[in-house]
Amino acid sequence: MSLLDVRDLRVSYGSADGDVHAVDGVSLSIEAGEFVGLAGESGCGKTTMAMAIPQLLPRNARITSGSVTFDGVDLSALDEHAMRAYRWKEISVVFQGALNALNPVQTIGSQIAEPIRVHDSSVTSAQADDRMRELLEAVGIPSRRAHDFPHQFSGGMRQRVMIAMALACRPRLVIADEPITALDVMTQAQIIDLLQSLSDRYNLAMLLISHDLSVLAQTCDRVAVMYAGKMAETGPSQDVFGESSGQVLARHPYTQRLLRAYPNIHRERVFIDGIPGSPPDLSKPQKGCRFQPRCDVALTQCANVAPELVALNDRHFAACHLLDADSSGVQ
Amino acid sequence: MPPLLRRFLVLCASIFAIVTFNFFLFHVIPGDPIRLIARSQRLSPEQVAKLREAYGLDGSIFSQYLTYLKNLAHGDLGYSFALHENVGDIVGRALVNTLILLTVSTTVVVLLGIAIGVFAGSRQGSKSDSATVVTSLVFWSLPTFWVGMLLVFIFGVWLGGLPISGITTPNAEYQNYFQYIADIARHLILPTLTLALVDIAFFVIITRTSLIEVMSEDYMLTARGKGLSQRTMVWKHATRNALLPVVTASVLYISALVAGAIQVEVVFSWPGMGLLTYNSVLARDYPTLEACFLIISVAVLVANFIADLVYRRLDPRVAVA
Amino acid sequence: MAFDVSTNDESIDVPPSGFSAMLRSIWADRLGRIGLILLVVTAVVAVLGPFVFPFNPADVGADSSTILQPPSADHWLGTDELGRDVFREFLAGARISLFVGIMATLISTVIGAGIGIVAGYFMGPLDTTLMSATDFFLVIPALPLMIAMGAIFGQNLLIIILVIGLLSWPRTARIVRSQTLSLRQRQYVARAKSLGASDARIIRRNVAPHVLQLIVANTILVVAGCILAEATLSFIGLGDPDRISWGSMLHFAFVSGAVGLGAWWYFMPPGLGILVVVLGFTLVGHSFERIANPRLKGE
Repeated sequence: MSLLDVRDLRVSYGSADGDVHAVDGVSLSIEAGEFVGLAGESGCGKTTMAMAIPQLLPRNARITSGSVTFDGVDLSALDEHAMRAYRWKEISVVFQGALNALNPVQTIGSQIAEPIRVHDSSVTSAQADDRMRELLEAVGIPSRRAHDFPHQFSGGMRQRVMIAMALACRPRLVIADEPITALDVMTQAQIIDLLQSLSDRYNLAMLLISHDLSVLAQTCDRVAVMYAGKMAETGPSQDVFGESSGQVLARHPYTQRLLRAYPNIHRERVFIDGIPGSPPDLSKPQKGCRFQPRCDVALTQCANVAPELVALNDRHFAACHLLDADSSGVQ
Repeated sequence: MPPLLRRFLVLCASIFAIVTFNFFLFHVIPGDPIRLIARSQRLSPEQVAKLREAYGLDGSIFSQYLTYLKNLAHGDLGYSFALHENVGDIVGRALVNTLILLTVSTTVVVLLGIAIGVFAGSRQGSKSDSATVVTSLVFWSLPTFWVGMLLVFIFGVWLGGLPISGITTPNAEYQNYFQYIADIARHLILPTLTLALVDIAFFVIITRTSLIEVMSEDYMLTARGKGLSQRTMVWKHATRNALLPVVTASVLYISALVAGAIQVEVVFSWPGMGLLTYNSVLARDYPTLEACFLIISVAVLVANFIADLVYRRLDPRVAVA
Repeated sequence: MAFDVSTNDESIDVPPSGFSAMLRSIWADRLGRIGLILLVVTAVVAVLGPFVFPFNPADVGADSSTILQPPSADHWLGTDELGRDVFREFLAGARISLFVGIMATLISTVIGAGIGIVAGYFMGPLDTTLMSATDFFLVIPALPLMIAMGAIFGQNLLIIILVIGLLSWPRTARIVRSQTLSLRQRQYVARAKSLGASDARIIRRNVAPHVLQLIVANTILVVAGCILAEATLSFIGLGDPDRISWGSMLHFAFVSGAVGLGAWWYFMPPGLGILVVVLGFTLVGHSFERIANPRLKGE
């Protein structure tokens, strides 16, 4: 059994112009200790999907169908009170933009130590304090800075604080939502190294959300690519982002276009908005493949029938009618 | 220059400005302060002569100003012909009584106002929230003195049981100090209730708006993600952040507080600065009125300075580096 | 919901809508509608009331049996401490209270908006000087100063209006200045300047119309404050003895001991009157503020 199993998840936002179906039937599983990447353009639903796991969606969002099973328990069926026991204790989050995600009027030490005692009342405040200092050292911050406030740290240091905070209760799954955007390249590399080493050290499963494919390719065991609320392609990192004799291994045209926007995935970082056109308006009902208007290899049925995920091998899946044709050809 | 020192210099400059303003208001604009005083008090020629000397009226305006500053520096606030006493002594007693009233009522108003504001703001859009907002707007629209009159009517005439006038029971004999304190406390109930009914609304509205903004901040999502209860989130994480704008806004409240206190002291005959101001208006006792205005203004400036210090303690981002 | 629209420019982009459009949007707001109704009722009472039931201050009772009498068929709201009809006095008082409140507000708005626009438009040392003065008047307690000035200058309607008006402008000045400052950065002001338009013309044509809506919203709230200030000053005993306002009625009710005698018909109506008119202006003002400032919407 997987540690986390998201099945056919649908999330909508209520808005004045009708519901926006931000996540529309997405499935994703994560094994214990696995490092999974989630890629896609802004607005593709990756943050919504990630925040639906610990039920941290904004008020106007609701899960309309599907399940989020963590360690055998369907979290989407829990009420707010029962859910609190899972938050941070089992699943913690490294939020986007650490400056705003840290409380400006509390010392970083108290913010890191806080969840430890909330989730385990047997811990004394001295023990929580020790653990907090240990965590600070683990992320490379001198523990004497525990009494400092968030504004006294640089951007990269704040992100380290955020990571230390996420590890406070020794969770089994950490969701890192764009943990390195708005950092300079050197700091980005350090934070990614830190995440990787900590995940190895504590045997953490990690869901790393980023639109930076090179980061995902470097770090993740497995990656998932979302487009307009749907899963486009998912599989082992080397299958989705790898190359074989000069040919990309990715099978979905969207993933291929993304990769082409990166001339060399291991060197240059180019933001992925290099594809002509823009994603569809998700408040309108969608018929057919969502990528079809921007796809240069679309078939006739692409405009009318939404493609299902097709198994390319036992771990690599993609949702594209071109692959239907392939597989029907084989049969 | 350190910000604290800068603020302190601004305070000193403001006090100097208000002292000068006071001089113009009471000594220059009326033409002759003696004539102003003589308008309602019968003064003997000797008294007039003494006053002219005390105010330095024989010299130019500038030398009058210097005399005025010199008198102030010696704590000489003039002589009240209506009360036959040095104004400094009268004001000193009144100031103590006003500080008792303001300390108690401000504590009640601020604590209850913030608590109700947080309560309403954390339930934004609910029935109890809108009821709180509407109730606050209604009470904020009431004249303080009229609320006091209603309470005098209700508790003095209709129900009875609570003292409606003064700071102690006249001719009371106390066995010990606690009875004396208890008597003052009983006399404090209605004045405090009056100020609370009207002024709590100010803090409710500001705290509520501020809390609603804070609740949508990213760090509140972090707090929720940590598995904290709604109560811990609101009171431990949101409230302290929400208080920052409240402290800033309380500068505007200080003026309203002074106005409220004056009215309450008049209605309940609380022997403080407000009642003294009122009585000196009725008796046209200008030296006392002048001193009241000066002391109240300086006290407000000092209160502003203190509010600024509190703000610096609450927000680590502006703390003195 | 997640994005921030608080940049100063946003609120300026609200097109200056006409008077009727403004009324319609306030009417659409529940609290704004209640406020409008309260104001219309007050206006009718204050304007028409004294015509239908004129009040003669000299019309005192014949003897002591006529004073502080409870409501009756002759005197719908009883009599005051001089045996006069409280109902008629109340109607006359409504007119004085509203008149003083509105006149004082006009003075305060003209001063506040003028200082705010000049300071915000010309910036530099002029701005610093004007704003130092504004801050000074913002922090010194208004009521004691009004009392002092009232006591020095004497008791008549004009003095009261001037005293309240001359001391109520600092907040308006602050608000208008910050709006003017941000307007000044806008392109069309720079364009008008480069075309050689004079400062006066730019202020008249390009700045004033855009701060107008803000000034209106603020003015509505200032009226509430001025009416309360008048009531308080008159209660303290600084009202015009010949023109009785609601505040002066409450002063006489208080000093004549009407409260202790239980003469509720004397001190209840003026207080409720003040509540209704102040609440009316407050509700309409807040409602207008919400419309003019989209950030507060949805509350």
